[in-house]
Amino acid sequence: MGVLSRAYRNISRRKIRALLVILALSFSMSILISIPAGITANQTATQNLTVNLSETIARTEASINQALTQIECSLTPSFEGFGFSPPPSGNFQRPENIADNFMPGQFGGGRVPGQFGGGPFGGRGNVAMNETLYTDIKSISGVAAVVPILEVSQGENQTIEMFGRSFTRMVPNYIIEGIPLTSLVDSYPILPTNITAGRNLQPGDSGVVLLSENNTRFFNAGVGDKIEILGQTFEVVGVYGSTGVSDVMTLYMNLTDAQTVTNNVGYITSLLVFTNDSSSVSDVAAALNSLHPELNVVTAQQRLDQLNDMRERYTAELQNAQTTLSQTQATALQEIVVVVAATSLIVLFVMLYTVRERTKEIGTLKAIGFSNRNILSQFVLEGIMLSAVAGVVGIAIGTIAAPFISSILIPTVNPIGNVVLRVGTGITPAVNVVTVDPQLMLMTFGASILLGMLGSLYPAWRASKIRPAEAMRYE
Amino acid sequence: MSETVLKVEGVTKVYTLGKRNVHALSNLNLQVKKGEFVAIMGPSGSGKTTLLNILGCIDKPTSGKVILDNVGVADLPEAELYKIRRNKIGFVFQSFNLLPYLNARENVELPMENNGKSKNERQSKAKELLAMVGLSGREEHRPQRLSAGEQQRVAIARALANDPAIILADEPTGNLDNKNKQEIVKLLANLNLTQGTTIILVTHDGQVASRTERILFLSDGKITREKNGLHLANKLMCPNCGNKLPTTEAKCPNCGSISNIKEPSNSLFEEEVAED
Repeated sequence: MGVLSRAYRNISRRKIRALLVILALSFSMSILISIPAGITANQTATQNLTVNLSETIARTEASINQALTQIECSLTPSFEGFGFSPPPSGNFQRPENIADNFMPGQFGGGRVPGQFGGGPFGGRGNVAMNETLYTDIKSISGVAAVVPILEVSQGENQTIEMFGRSFTRMVPNYIIEGIPLTSLVDSYPILPTNITAGRNLQPGDSGVVLLSENNTRFFNAGVGDKIEILGQTFEVVGVYGSTGVSDVMTLYMNLTDAQTVTNNVGYITSLLVFTNDSSSVSDVAAALNSLHPELNVVTAQQRLDQLNDMRERYTAELQNAQTTLSQTQATALQEIVVVVAATSLIVLFVMLYTVRERTKEIGTLKAIGFSNRNILSQFVLEGIMLSAVAGVVGIAIGTIAAPFISSILIPTVNPIGNVVLRVGTGITPAVNVVTVDPQLMLMTFGASILLGMLGSLYPAWRASKIRPAEAMRYE
Repeated sequence: MSETVLKVEGVTKVYTLGKRNVHALSNLNLQVKKGEFVAIMGPSGSGKTTLLNILGCIDKPTSGKVILDNVGVADLPEAELYKIRRNKIGFVFQSFNLLPYLNARENVELPMENNGKSKNERQSKAKELLAMVGLSGREEHRPQRLSAGEQQRVAIARALANDPAIILADEPTGNLDNKNKQEIVKLLANLNLTQGTTIILVTHDGQVASRTERILFLSDGKITREKNGLHLANKLMCPNCGNKLPTTEAKCPNCGSISNIKEPSNSLFEEEVAED
């Protein structure tokens, strides 16, 4: 009959009490395990956000710097702000001469939030332009090359119910980008560069496509496979890797192919104008504006400026996120302190009551030769046993209910299991599920033992100091 | 003469009740020899329990000496006293004080727990002791399934667990009916006779006290009177020198001669029970 089994028997002697105490303690323990889980999820989300944003900005900046001689011309503002807030559905211009079989939303509105447009430079124009109207651009002094581009999104319309109204928007499955496959592609940064399988498109290619990794999943095809696009068969010659966090949905093909397959012969959606050198960019842009006032002309420099604005916004948002996080952490710390205090107090009062109730037993044990230390360890052990059992139960509850418990206690955690950091409209990158990992379980179990010890130390000390002669009189 | 196992010299115990000092014991002297069966009698408030608590090392005298088995215990710190209680003293309480969540055997094992004995040793010793007090076959019963008399037997077995120098019994029959009272006194007397266990028993029951060999009367914290009890007749006498033979040892501790050991008679108790 060791001290351990005596402790066990004493606890199991009063089952209802033990049950209630364990329930109360395990509730505390489940809170104790949920708060750090929620905080970790919050931190991870913020970290992801930071990494995502800084990676994207750096990548975009690098691309822009590579192409400082580039000017983009389209009929719509071409820099859509990295895919923040998609343009409302139907907000597109549709020239009369565009084929009737185009779905609404094929031009414009096709951006997925956070998708960063079809290419590394953000979204290009989505409004069809008659190719022949712009042949005069080449004659502007300082222009080295003009690259016409057709970009058409293919996808499905999706209706979203929100605030009692329904919105329709197109969710693209893939975006067709037609590039003139001439010697231009060798001289200017038009095509993706990070080919992960097969080869890049080459001048003279036709009937072939270059897919993004995202596309390969959608089409379930790889290099050498044939895929069908709008009823026409294309051979996959290569796959390019996504350079950042966004899953690029753009597939590249010959401009002529793209125009034919989308029934857009003679139409493009944007023009890339390259100047002889970066110093002539602003002169060319001015000339472009006066020659075609309807065109939206964006130079790389403007892009950089826009990017800097964007960066400032992101930095502010990140700071907000960090502030929210540290506020949350402070709240969580207070909550943990309360829980720890509550747990120890529960153990303290229960054990004080137990010691009082068992004064005679303690007196007896001392009279028959138990030392103060024997008594002390007996009661500390009982306290630890209670809270350890509660720890196990609490961890079990916490593992299941951590997202819900932390959503109640930490304002930025939502109960579906995701962390929502309110960073700027339209950004949805920071999602992270609240999970309880084994290390946290172990730590919580350790904490339960520690708190049991903490709470029972004083009652046990009092028990050990009981004088047997007095305890004997206590009936 | 047998060796003295307990010597109390000038023990005084003063309690402070509010502003008043109460002399529970005043300058008390007492000697108990090894193998004696002693009763301490006295009215309520005469200091019986205080004396027993001081003898049992669970209370300390205000002044005076207590020498138990050649150890002065009055001034020992608690860190030493618990060992004395564990190894030299066996306590028997009025209300038995068994742990309700342990069975008879486990209760008897308790004092041996911190004494370096193996689990098997503890168990077999507990069983042996329970058999000695007549509880064979009831080792695994919890106190609530035992009668009052049986519970007190378990308590006596527990008191004997570490072969103490002295058994201190505080009103051991106080919570028992007449039949069980006789049984327990008989058991104690038999232990004293057959095992040579030194027993000091506190009681206010004259009938119980008369079954011991030496009765001390306590009044106002002093031993005022002393007389022989019936148990004396049960003690063996050395055929050579006439000295009491405290144990079943065949050799007289006084003159060293070999004696024929008689089985102690229980007739006394049987008569007494019949008398009631």
